[in-house]
Parts: sequence; structure tokens; C-alpha cells
Amino acid sequence: MDCVDLTTVLAGITLRNPVVTCSGTYGFGEEYADYCPLEALGGITLKGITPLPRLGNSVPRLAETPAGLLNSVGLENPGLEDFLVSYLPKVRKMPTAVIANISGFSLEDYVQMARALQVDSGLAALEVNISCPNVKHGGMHFGTDPHSAEEVIAAVKAVTNLPTIAKLSPNVTDIVEMARAAQRGGADALSLINTLLGMRIDIEQQRPLLANTFGGLSGPAIRPVAVRMVWQVAEAVDLPIIGMGGITTWQDAVEFLLAGATAISIGTGNFVNPQAPLEIIQGIKGYCEKHGLTSVRNLVGLAHKG
Amino acid sequence: MLTEGLVVVHECLGAADQRLRRLVLKGPIAKTAKAGQFVAVLVQDSSIPSYDPLLRRPISLAEISPDRDEITLLYRIQGRGTEILARARCGEQLSLMGPLGQGFSLPEVGELWLVAGGIGVFPLYALAQSALDQGLNVRLFWGGENQSFLISAGLPAWQALEIPLNLSTLDGTLGERGLVTEQLQGRLSELFGHTKQENTSSPQIRVATCGPKKMMQAVTELCVNYAVPVQVSLEERMGCAVGACLGCVCTLIDKAGTLSHKKVCQDGPVFRGEEVVWDGLC
Ligand SMILES: Cc1cc2nc3c(=O)[nH]c(=O)nc-3n(C[C@H](O)[C@H](O)[C@H](O)COP(=O)(O)OP(=O)(O)OC[C@H]3O[C@@H](n4cnc5c(N)ncnc54)[C@H](O)[C@@H]3O)c2cc1C
Ligand SMILES: Cc1cc2nc3c(=O)[nH]c(=O)nc-3n(C[C@H](O)[C@H](O)[C@H](O)COP(=O)(O)O)c2cc1C
Ligand code: FES
Repeated sequence: MDCVDLTTVLAGITLRNPVVTCSGTYGFGEEYADYCPLEALGGITLKGITPLPRLGNSVPRLAETPAGLLNSVGLENPGLEDFLVSYLPKVRKMPTAVIANISGFSLEDYVQMARALQVDSGLAALEVNISCPNVKHGGMHFGTDPHSAEEVIAAVKAVTNLPTIAKLSPNVTDIVEMARAAQRGGADALSLINTLLGMRIDIEQQRPLLANTFGGLSGPAIRPVAVRMVWQVAEAVDLPIIGMGGITTWQDAVEFLLAGATAISIGTGNFVNPQAPLEIIQGIKGYCEKHGLTSVRNLVGLAHKG
Repeated sequence: MLTEGLVVVHECLGAADQRLRRLVLKGPIAKTAKAGQFVAVLVQDSSIPSYDPLLRRPISLAEISPDRDEITLLYRIQGRGTEILARARCGEQLSLMGPLGQGFSLPEVGELWLVAGGIGVFPLYALAQSALDQGLNVRLFWGGENQSFLISAGLPAWQALEIPLNLSTLDGTLGERGLVTEQLQGRLSELFGHTKQENTSSPQIRVATCGPKKMMQAVTELCVNYAVPVQVSLEERMGCAVGACLGCVCTLIDKAGTLSHKKVCQDGPVFRGEEVVWDGLC
């Protein structure tokens, strides 16, 4: 069998294959062009933007852990206005589905960005990163309070005609509760997971290694947590899921698909192997062939049945 | 590009206790690389994937030989990543991304002064070679811990270039006792006196420096004082090495006083010294 259908449908958008790249690890789409042709990918997710430009945190921003990476970039980005002028025109021409990622520190922040990003902007979807502190509510994270999460998603949905993907934070007691909140808010799909909060200490300097003390953990170290969360959410909520967290090989990707992800996304894995997305697409195809599946869609959630 | 480099030489550089290595790799990178650029090497024990360490290691090009399709990396065993790299044997293939970043720019004519601190001398060797190829006059100021370090870290190869060397060691076992910046200052004041002046007298001097941050900052201050253009090669922890993750930023300031972040991996690692904000916070 040489004709596995790799296309998949997510929140009304058809992806040429289920392999996407993660926000914050793939710049604005051009940086990896020499390593991985965009036209081969199911889609890419752009760096998170905020209404105003942000310089982000001080360096060091990165620290390695066994099989993991802590980052505290601090949402450095050019801001909405510059994004619209300098980046969006290029995005339009990109030969793959492009997902914008928005972050905010108040409900109004999210609304302002969502209003500016519509179907006619050339984007395929809007991913709403809710792993940010809500400064108006004493820094309580949108992503850890179901009520705030629902409110943000509903507010975004009300002002944009783009499919809306809620990106969930794993730093919660009950991921299913957060997924349900996003669904109530009207999310068309879910991305999970974002990074897990962690830290390292330099034992010689006797100080935190990251200038920002804490950082978000990504990479293979977090994969089992991510697979578990995808599994739980897939059981409880009827929304398509983009699974991410530590994917570096096709075997990892298949694990997420079997757990119930409709598509998968690669972040830190690109740093290790910038051709990982290509190898993963081929690997998923090979796996489907081996298991007599004519479409990758038949893989989704297979581990739940029987 | 993502490519493989065949290990053709991998040897101890100098005294064993200096923990320095010389690694020559055969592959296509040499054809397009220039001095000041680097590669991101995947460090893994043999061919069994392991994720500790997870990230590639940035290493500068110390020699570029397009005719032989070879690049030379000189490195110090620093921690787990370079410890594993040191085990790569001749005949093995290493996964490389590169050439990465913007290299040094060479003046058309005149004199190039290289100012190195410790193993910061490594990328300056490739620069010295291309400057000499281009017919420039080259001089090296190099400071290190002691004689054993300087000899281990490649002094004989520098001597073979037959250029003037201004050496210094902290303990005075070779060259002048003290800091490399003192030597630079001495030479600058010999030529230009003690006051700031426009460097219009011939020969035109350009400085390129690599080493500890504090040293490069001091070199930059001296150069600015004498109106000598200076290029610095910065280091920062890297994630993607291609400008996609914003892990490796440095802070620059322009003439108008505006601060901005640049990516060491993509916009650098070489920057104009006077633009760098050395305490890095903003
Ligand atoms: C552009 C560039 C060029 C370099 N060129 C050379 C070279 O030619 N020769 C050489 O010996 N070294 C060079 N370095 C430093 C070299 O990358 C580090 O020594 C190496 O990454 C240490 O890895 P490790 O696992 O052995 O050490 P560890 O200390 O265990 O590393 C832990 C983490 O910190 C990072 N790290 C540690 N030291 C540095 C450093 N000085 N700069 C940036 N990241 C660091 C590592 O990459 C890793 O992510 C260069 C660094 C940069 C950024
Ligand atoms: C350097 C870095 C920057 C990131 N920036 C963002 C961001 O701006 N917005 C966001 O929603 N997620 C961001 N993330 C999280 C990733 O998109 C992804 O959810 C997470 O890293 C898990 O996937 P991985 O293990 O494959 O990297 C970032 C991750 C990294 C490593
Ligand atoms: S290392 Fe990722 S932007 Fe420089």
C-alpha cells in the first residue's frame, strides 16, 4: 500500500498532514526555511505576540535539564502593530497553514489582537495562549482559572472569524476542567501542552540559573505528562486536539495520535534536529502503511478503543 | 544547512590538563563558511540517541579549508556536552548545522589587530588566515593564564603565521605579566599618544576581539577612546541557533540611544563593540 491519506481536518481547516510546529520555537516561519521546507509541513505556529512590543526577560534565558529545556524568554515579540506590518504580509505567502499565537495580560489585550486578526489576514487559525498572568486580577493566570479561561476564549471568539484554538497550560490540578472551560468559551480546538514551570540552581554560584528564576520546561522530559493530558482531555471533551510536548521522533508523534490528538506539534525537537518534522511525517506514513491504515485520521484516539 | 562532518582528526591539543581538543571535520561547510561563524554540533555518544544533553553545542570555526573541504574546531572540555563530544572517534560522522551566524568583516586595506583572551583566540585564527590571504597586516594580542596554556592553545600555530605577537600571562611565565588589555593600551598610546583622536593616520587599524565578556568590554572602551573600529564576538546560551527561539539575545544601543535585542546566533555572534550594552539588562 503506498497511498496513505495524511490530510487531517482541524477546527475546519484542512492540513496536508498532521505535523505542525510549536509557537515560540519556530520564529515567524522563515528561520528554519533552509532546513525544512514549509510546503512539507501541515502547518506552523508563529511566536506569541502581545499588543505592545516586549523585550522579554534578561539572559540567561535557557537552561538544560536531562532531556529537557527550561526557557524564560518572557514573550519577547515585536508587538501587534509591527507584526501586522512587517510579518503578516510574508505569512500570507507561506505555502502552509499558518497559525498565529496571541498572549495577553488582560481580557482587552486578547480582544485587541483577535480583532486585528481575521480570515482575510491569510492566517489559518488563532491560537490563544492562556498561560499568562492576568495583571488585573492580581496576576492569577488565565490558564489556571477556568472562569478566566472561558471568558478569554469567548471574548476572542466574539471578535474574530478565525478558528480559535485554546492553548492550555499543564500547570493545573485538573486539565479536563480547563479543557471544558475552553469548550464552553467556544474554542474550536485545543493545543496541549504548554511548558511546565520549573527551575535550576547553579550550585557554584549558589543562585538560580535563569535570570528570571523560573522557566518553562519543554522537551522529551515532559512527554509523558503531555500524553496523559491529551488522553484525559480526549476522553472528556469532544474537540480536536493538537498534541505537543517533547516530540522528537515519529514514534512520539504516533503516541500522541493514539492518545487522541488530531495533529501534533514539534517545538524543542526542532532545536535538536531541524529536520525532525520531515522525518516524523515520513514515519507516521510508514506506521500507517505497516498497520494497514488508509488514513492518518484512523489513528486518532485508537488507544482508547478496545 | 544540516549536514554531516566526518571526523578526520580528533586529538588532544597541548597538555592534557588543559582539556583542549582539536577536531577536524570533512564536509561541505568549509565551502561557504567565513571566519567568525560557528557550527551547532550534536553531541551524542555513538549513534544511540540520548537526550542528555538535549541541545547542540555551538563551536566556532578555528580553521576553514575549502580546498580540502575541512573545518577545524578547537574546544575546551567544559561540561557534559563537550565531554561526550571528546569521545567522537575518527571515521565517525557528526551532525552539524552551519555555517551559522554572521562572521567578522575584513577591511579592504590596513592593519588588523586581534585581541584574544584565553580560548577566545580560537575563532581569531581563521580570521588571521583570511586577513593574511587578503594581504592585510595582522597582529595578535593574546592573554592567558600561563605559559602552559598559551603553548597548549595553539601558540606554535600562531608563530608559524609569522606575525607580530603581543603575549601576556597572569603569572608572567610567558610574555608580559598582566592583562592583554594593558598590552593593547600600551600599543595604542605608543601610536596615538594619550589623548583621544580621530584614527585617520595611516595605517588604518581595525580591532577584532574574542574572550571573556569583561575583557571584550575593556577592549571596546579602549578602542572607542582611540576611535578605532572594533568587532566583538559574543557568546550566549543557545536553543535553536538559527534565530527562531529568542533564547540567545544580547542588548544593543544605537547612536540615538535606542535599546534593542539582537540574536547572538543569527545577527551575531560578531557585533560592533560600541553598540553592545555590556551589562545586558534592559
Ligand atoms: C557562538 C559560540 C561559539 C563558541 N565557540 C567555542 C569554541 O570555539 N571553542 C570552545 O571551547 N567553546 C566555544 N563556545 C562555548 C561552548 O559552546 C561551550 O563551552 C559548550 O556549549 C559547553 O557545553 P558543555 O555541555 O560541555 O558544558 P555545560 O557547562 O555543561 O553546558 C551547559 C549548558 O550551557 C551552555 N554553555 C556553557 N558554556 C557556554 C558558553 N561559554 N557559551 C554559550 N553556552 C554555553 C551549553 O551549551 C549548555 O546548554 C562557543 C559558544 C558560542 C555561543
Ligand atoms: C523557547 C520557547 C519559547 C516558547 N514560546 C511560546 C509562546 O510564545 N507561546 C506559546 O503559546 N508557547 C510557547 N512555547 C511553548 C511551546 O509552544 C510548546 O507548547 C512547549 O515547548 C512544549 O512542546 P515541546 O516540548 O515540543 O517544545 C515556547 C517554548 C519554548 C521552548
Ligand atoms: S538560539 Fe534561538 S534565537 Fe538564538
